[in-house]
Amino acid sequence: MKVSLNLLKKFVDLEGLTPEEIAHRFTFAGVEVESIEHIASGSKLVVGEVIHCENMENSDHLHVTKVNCGPEYGTLDIVCGAPNCRKGLKVIVALDGCVLPGGTIKKGQIRGHESNGMLCSLLELGVDSKYLKEEQTKGIEELPSNFEVGSTNVLELLGLDDVVLDLKLLANRSDLYSILNVAKEIKTLFSKETKIPEVKVKENLKASFPVDSKTEKCPQFSARVVKGIVTKESPSWLKEALRSSGIRSINNIVDIGNYVMLLTGQPLHMYDLDKLPKKELVVRDDIEGDFVALDEKTYKLQKGDICITSSGKVMCLGGVMGSLECAVDEKTRNIVIEAANFDYASIRRTSIRLNLSSDSSQRFVKGINPNQYNFVMDLTADLLLSLAEAKEIAEVDTYLKAEFKPTRVASSFEYINARLGTSFSKEEILSALASADIKVEEKGEKFVAIIPDRRIDITGEADLSEEVIRILGFENIEAKLPVTELFVGHLEPNLEKKRIVRSYLRGIGLDEVLNYSLMRESEINDFRILNKDEAYRVLNPLTDEHEYVRTNLLPSLMNTLVYNKNHSNDNVAIFEVSDIYSKENKKHIHLGIALVGNDLRRFAIKGEAYSYYHLKGVVDSLLALFNIDEKRTVLARCSEQEFHPGKSATLKIDGKLAAVFGELHPNTLKRYHLDKENVVVLEMDLGVLFDTKTSLKKMEQISRYQSVKRDFAFIFEDKVTSKEVLSEVRKINRDLIKEVEVFDVYKGEHVKEGHYSLAFSVYLNSNEKTLSDKEISDIEEQIIKAVELKFGAELRK
Amino acid sequence: MSEIFSKVSQVKEKIISEMSSIKDESSLKEFQEKHLSKKSELSQLMSEIKNLANEEKAKFGQAMNDARSAVNEAFQKKAQEINDALIARKLAKETIDITLPGYNYKMGGINPFYLVQDEIIDTFVSMGYEVKEGPDVESDYYNFERMNIPANHPAREMQDSFYINPTTLLRTHTSPEQARAMDEKEGKPLMMICPGKCFRRDDDDVTHSHQFGQVEGLVVGKGITLANLKGTLELFIRKMFGEKRQVRFRGSYFPFTEPSVEVDVTCMNCGGKGCSTCKGTGFIEILGAGMVHPNVLKMAGYDPEVYSGFAFGVGIERVAMLRYGIDDIRKIYQGDVRFIEQFSRK
Repeated sequence: MKVSLNLLKKFVDLEGLTPEEIAHRFTFAGVEVESIEHIASGSKLVVGEVIHCENMENSDHLHVTKVNCGPEYGTLDIVCGAPNCRKGLKVIVALDGCVLPGGTIKKGQIRGHESNGMLCSLLELGVDSKYLKEEQTKGIEELPSNFEVGSTNVLELLGLDDVVLDLKLLANRSDLYSILNVAKEIKTLFSKETKIPEVKVKENLKASFPVDSKTEKCPQFSARVVKGIVTKESPSWLKEALRSSGIRSINNIVDIGNYVMLLTGQPLHMYDLDKLPKKELVVRDDIEGDFVALDEKTYKLQKGDICITSSGKVMCLGGVMGSLECAVDEKTRNIVIEAANFDYASIRRTSIRLNLSSDSSQRFVKGINPNQYNFVMDLTADLLLSLAEAKEIAEVDTYLKAEFKPTRVASSFEYINARLGTSFSKEEILSALASADIKVEEKGEKFVAIIPDRRIDITGEADLSEEVIRILGFENIEAKLPVTELFVGHLEPNLEKKRIVRSYLRGIGLDEVLNYSLMRESEINDFRILNKDEAYRVLNPLTDEHEYVRTNLLPSLMNTLVYNKNHSNDNVAIFEVSDIYSKENKKHIHLGIALVGNDLRRFAIKGEAYSYYHLKGVVDSLLALFNIDEKRTVLARCSEQEFHPGKSATLKIDGKLAAVFGELHPNTLKRYHLDKENVVVLEMDLGVLFDTKTSLKKMEQISRYQSVKRDFAFIFEDKVTSKEVLSEVRKINRDLIKEVEVFDVYKGEHVKEGHYSLAFSVYLNSNEKTLSDKEISDIEEQIIKAVELKFGAELRK
Repeated sequence: MSEIFSKVSQVKEKIISEMSSIKDESSLKEFQEKHLSKKSELSQLMSEIKNLANEEKAKFGQAMNDARSAVNEAFQKKAQEINDALIARKLAKETIDITLPGYNYKMGGINPFYLVQDEIIDTFVSMGYEVKEGPDVESDYYNFERMNIPANHPAREMQDSFYINPTTLLRTHTSPEQARAMDEKEGKPLMMICPGKCFRRDDDDVTHSHQFGQVEGLVVGKGITLANLKGTLELFIRKMFGEKRQVRFRGSYFPFTEPSVEVDVTCMNCGGKGCSTCKGTGFIEILGAGMVHPNVLKMAGYDPEVYSGFAFGVGIERVAMLRYGIDDIRKIYQGDVRFIEQFSRK
């Protein structure tokens, strides 16, 4: 809401208040002033007359002038480049030292000619070009000849001394879409006197225009006939008042409607009386069909839209836009003025559906003062009398669903202080409420507040507490810690566990990233492995880039990898932990990891290319971190097309799919333009990990006796996995074999095609005694026999 | 007779003096064979014992022993010297460039979003709050109705939302978790925060993001006041931004709080003197807050005559941007490791 201070001061005393003071106080009282705009500025300006003007030799546009600046400043030599500069012209002179929006004017030499100032255009004074005629933007301003040479109040003479406050109004203060109510706010916050005009119009026509409402959505509808009007240009004060509020002037009739709305916040509509099919207006909401609006476009009406009808035909889409059929134009002589109140929700729905929004509909949507229609009607009629030569003014016809009753709120002084944590006296609270025009009926410690009609936001005693504190000042609130029961602060279990996973992964050097949850359709269909459920689609996306709610994390992480590769980040190890959402499964907690390039942790210079085993290690460590025994897991080859079939795996915990990880298929790499890279990724459903029940781990006894280590190496067929071998070995003697560890894997020379060599160490120990050589060699023999028999393996000597 | 004694002495001196010519391991060995074996000149002198009178024999033996130990001692010393030099040469050859990078045991970088979120969580946990997470995909009912924003309420204009279907949307704030928390507590006092992702139909630019993080806070109890909100936020802000920060309230509007305030804090860049960060005001807007609206309490089954509460919502990116001087919110979501790796604990 743009508030011109020149307009505002017609209605409230602004004496002694700077725009900055108003902005500060308003902002702290919950009415934020977003900007203070000076229409024009200039510190040392004077009206001058060009008494001599000649073209400068060797210049195609410069003029050498002598300008009479009155008795105080005398005649000055000034060089001017404007094409319209000529002898006899009254001009705005910026004197030496004048500060303009573009900089400070200093006297000096221009091509050998002395110049003691500048002749100005309005653009140079900071006036926005949208308010200027084209010729005004092309040269210096041509002042009216009656301006007195030597006058220094140039901005005031031009009506450009105005300051506009831009109010950023929140939904509760719809009353301030009204200059008169802003004037009342000044009264509330600065104890200034308002100067709201009392208007009483003498009617010379009886009420004879039936109005009715057939819908709950219109609780009040008033109409007044005005006859004999003349359409013409508005006077300059009216144009200026509208311009400073950002409204374009059309003609006196339209401008009066807009001006009344600007002053009161009540949207008006005007019908050409002679174009109405019948002398009546009836509000209905049961009409379907086409409607040709003022903008000459056709709109489809639906049941529920508020329609103002005459003889069953729609004359206006209530609160949104009038019809072309009965629009007021230059030939209009007799009009009907409408001032009504409509259900904000209905206006909002219609306005959104038809994509039609106007100053009127916006005010209805936010809510208007329900009880000022008579004042509004009189104010309008009064202006039509003085500016549009109106001859006949009819009495107002009003439909009213129910008598208006002001809101009454019961509260107590104690409540106000208890809610705020303050100790304001009764008198302080009463004076704050009184300044906001809230009348109070006291009953001892309690009271009933009677709310002024314009404040539709105040409905309960909590609202009163806000009114008191914003008027008395939030600086009166002293900081006090609450006195409550004691609680043990804690995180939800899953949040706690997510933190454990995140700190572990950062601990091993991975970078934690955060990606958008909304993705493209093509992206969410990639790596659709752990969660195959249907994705949520946004009905009203801003771009197709952010249309679907991601169901897996790997597509995001792949994009982030690509982003990094494209920015020459060659070695990248990133992860993200995030909740994901999909239609059937609702919420899952996922972990995604993506690695590309070299692992620089082992040795920062050389590094080691990332491989399947990097993430296998992470998976094993996470299982260990959550105390999940390997026996409860199944690792299987992954057959998903995105992955390298021989270098990827899926992990199940207690039969539930928990993770997929490994190196990528060349086709996938190609799709992401990462052909030359080794990329290893993982996606894990952390929920499976978190929900796996494990019992509290108790201490295991460590043997006091010396442990014995025996190494073995066998040649196996490629299809045999190390896990099978190790578990077979462990089975041989679960008491004495404490650990079996792989220490070498070899393929190549001395090992025949399709085979590999696996070397492992077996740690033997007993909790009861030192093992004898015999016992040790017995186990050795059993191991060799079992491995040879089970796998057809060959012991390497 | 004394001749033989002086001979022993002479030979001993000669051998010891010859030791100075030992320069390396091989000459050491050579010397050992020549002078410390049984056939050495000194050992050979032992054979003279038979020519001595009995009473002289013991004396001679003693002299020989003394000479031998003197030689041995000198030799051991020399051998140690040679060995030390040898090791020193070997170690010298093994010298490495101590300035090359070491093994990389650095923590991974952390997105400043999480840095701020985790710190806010820790601060409130230490004050006794519980931390809850609500869903990103939320019902219209919790996101709006329960926050005192009924259908077609003008405030819904402020929160242009991503809808999944007419009754489901991506939450526009973490506030709905207030209602869920109160539902769970069934009318008992509570202190909680809820961190999480939120979504609004904003075009992405330097300061706007269609996705952003918020931490919601809620305290409900008997006799909770606006002054308590100020006290709590002051404690929180001083923990996050330093002891000297001042907290300032400005009137505002949220449908689910009454009174509602915007909370400003002393500018962390200039300390309140006024600078470009705070546009000369000395203060920076940091969060929105207020006293829980009686309707919100009522809908959750709390009697607003008995209970009152305060609530607040902190924008995570905003705090991160102010604290770390991040000039573009999109950098938080880009995942550039050169950005992420600038941040670790504190």
